[in-house]
Amino acid sequence: MTEAESASAPTGPARPGRWAVAALLALVLVAAGAFTVPRLFNGDRPAPDGPEAGFARDMSAHHAQAVRMAFAVRDRSDDEKIRTLAYDIITTQQSQIGMMSAWLDGWRAPHADPAGPMRWMGGHGGHGAPGGTMPGMATREQLDELEHAQGRAAETLFLDLMITHHRGGVSMARAVLSRTGRPEVLRLARSMVEGQQSEIDLMTRMRAERNADRPGG
Amino acid sequence: MSKKTAQRRPKPKRNELTRKTPPWGGIIFFTCIGLIAVAAIGYAAWQARPVDTAGIDGLVETENLSRNHTPAAVSYPTNPPMGGDHDSQWQNCDGRVYDQALRNENAVHSLEHGAVWITYRPGLPAGQLDQLRDTVEKTDYTMLSPVPNQDSPVTLTAWGKQLKLQDAGDQRVSDFLRAFVKGPQTPEPGAACTGGKATP
Repeated sequence: MTEAESASAPTGPARPGRWAVAALLALVLVAAGAFTVPRLFNGDRPAPDGPEAGFARDMSAHHAQAVRMAFAVRDRSDDEKIRTLAYDIITTQQSQIGMMSAWLDGWRAPHADPAGPMRWMGGHGGHGAPGGTMPGMATREQLDELEHAQGRAAETLFLDLMITHHRGGVSMARAVLSRTGRPEVLRLARSMVEGQQSEIDLMTRMRAERNADRPGG
Repeated sequence: MSKKTAQRRPKPKRNELTRKTPPWGGIIFFTCIGLIAVAAIGYAAWQARPVDTAGIDGLVETENLSRNHTPAAVSYPTNPPMGGDHDSQWQNCDGRVYDQALRNENAVHSLEHGAVWITYRPGLPAGQLDQLRDTVEKTDYTMLSPVPNQDSPVTLTAWGKQLKLQDAGDQRVSDFLRAFVKGPQTPEPGAACTGGKATP
């Protein structure tokens, strides 16, 4: 034993303060490890089951249904305003699906969650029920009805379904805004909130113009 | 040296350096901290694990599948087929449950779009069939249909990937979906699972 070590060795009973310091150090190490290790394994990527990946997966399926409905009404309507709106929704949302797909690829996250949609929103105010469906999605029966309607009837049904669909989309985009700090996710989610909200206003006006045709929606 | 000192002073003042019994308090304390650390770091690493496609036991893979469109019937080497030439129209695969057998040539086109096609041999116990329906209905880019003469109770197929299972409750159903729905094997990423053929 060296003199220096002997000199620093305790001469009296161990002070309880030492344990506290040791415990604090150990906890700091644990916290640092828990923070660092996922990054070593996964780089600077969001977790495969985190809110960003969950949002990208669910919003892709949500968008895919909007694209399907927009195509349906474009095939069934001669109204220029409706056809332009549908064209806008198809191109915008299909391109956003592409962006979110590229995120998932880059994050090495799965494109499917067989445990069901909306788990990333669960446990925060009860928005999402595990295994439940996404907000605003049309049912198979409603899609079937839209795809068998024609002209004015197809237009009003489309507006009703798409207003509900966009409201659900806005709520999902808002939910991820409060759960992530990733700039690319924040940017796209903000653009969805603003873009879909303004389309909701537009569709509400278009719906009002047609109110006489189908009272009560 | 410490031994000598101890002999000279038979009743030393008790402290951390001179006492003979192991410091059990400290040992237990740091063991606990260590276990918590291992658990926390292990959990964090598990959470961050990337999609693992190599770890699926029993996975069959094939490469260099042709991708031509043809209106003709195609003879595929496996049942159900894992890819190859196909019809220009894809089978809708937006989490769709079909109660009748599909035309292979349409289903193969869905695989090209990144879908996973789950097939079962008729006679699968009702509980297992319900389990498959439930999984398919809540997973976009999947479809379910019976294949009358397939050689396993349940088969999962993606483009160039196939897994034969005895039981629908197998954990590998979930593993396969996470790995291959719109997975890296997809020849045509971004292509749709709607707007195709809606009936068997």
